[in-house]
Amino acid sequence: MTSKIREFPGVGLREPDFAEKKVLFTEWKPNARYAWDAGVAIGRYLAELKEGHIIGVRCRRCRRTVVPPRIFCEWCFHPMDEWVYLEDHGVVNTFSICHVRWDMERVAEPLIPAVIEIAGASKGMGILHLLGEVDPKDVKIGMKVKAVWKPAAERIGAITDIQYFKPVK
Amino acid sequence: MSLLEKVDKNTEARAWQGEIPIQNRYTYGLAGEKFFREIMDNARFVGTRCPECNFIYVPPAIYCERCFSRLEEWVEVGPEGTVQSFTVLLVALDGSPLTEPEIMALIQLDGADSVLVHRLGDVELDDLAIGMRVKAVFKPKKQREGSILDIVHFVPVDV
Repeated sequence: MTSKIREFPGVGLREPDFAEKKVLFTEWKPNARYAWDAGVAIGRYLAELKEGHIIGVRCRRCRRTVVPPRIFCEWCFHPMDEWVYLEDHGVVNTFSICHVRWDMERVAEPLIPAVIEIAGASKGMGILHLLGEVDPKDVKIGMKVKAVWKPAAERIGAITDIQYFKPVK
Repeated sequence: MSLLEKVDKNTEARAWQGEIPIQNRYTYGLAGEKFFREIMDNARFVGTRCPECNFIYVPPAIYCERCFSRLEEWVEVGPEGTVQSFTVLLVALDGSPLTEPEIMALIQLDGADSVLVHRLGDVELDDLAIGMRVKAVFKPKKQREGSILDIVHFVPVDV
């Protein structure tokens, strides 16, 4: 609002106005299907997830192992082609407790997204995933966690082939 | 696997498939509401007239594009009109070929100064001409729902 405009022109509409057909309207659902090219590195990463492995790649020059794999080292721009199988456990690098889902739905059981440093990769190298089978109050940075995989038959080559990471007793 | 490895067949490409769930709802606005209600309830066309420019807008607007006057004078136009331009479509919106070509036209309804986009029907491609006289064919009243598709198409007027 400004000193000159006290009220905006037009008609405010609420959901019931549409249900009762008080106004005319047209609905449209654009076809927003897409295919994202995973590339060589992420392509292999997803293929290995389907087999139940987490794979990383090593830079010979910087002597570090990165995960998720990428095709060149972003430190020295050297091509990386030394593939390394990593462990399916690691430690929590950082985490968050979410009471709201991605589509803004409130969830009864909070979600715990976390960055997990994967054992076998260089320090600080990790992937984003969910924690499960743990009370949100008990989550600590540095705690050891292990991947809980989907059954082999249900794996499709996606990051969700790992259901979540659970604490190691 | 090296950097130089190439995927030669598109069936081997590793792609992540997804769909972004979006939808929208368009309301016609003050002028559009009246325009489409007239079509739905009375199978008539109305437009707005600018008193400054003496220009009649169909579809109507509430402001004049030329002088920004507020338009409050409603006039009935049509239902017959003149083809000002046309194009013959051989492919659908998704790029697939159409079995029956569609003809889209700019139609200036009698009394209006602006044009309306719609389909032409019941016309041979050879008979298409700029300046041909056409009239609107409306859906039966029960099937009309306040949309531009309440008009099936425009057909040539038998002279």
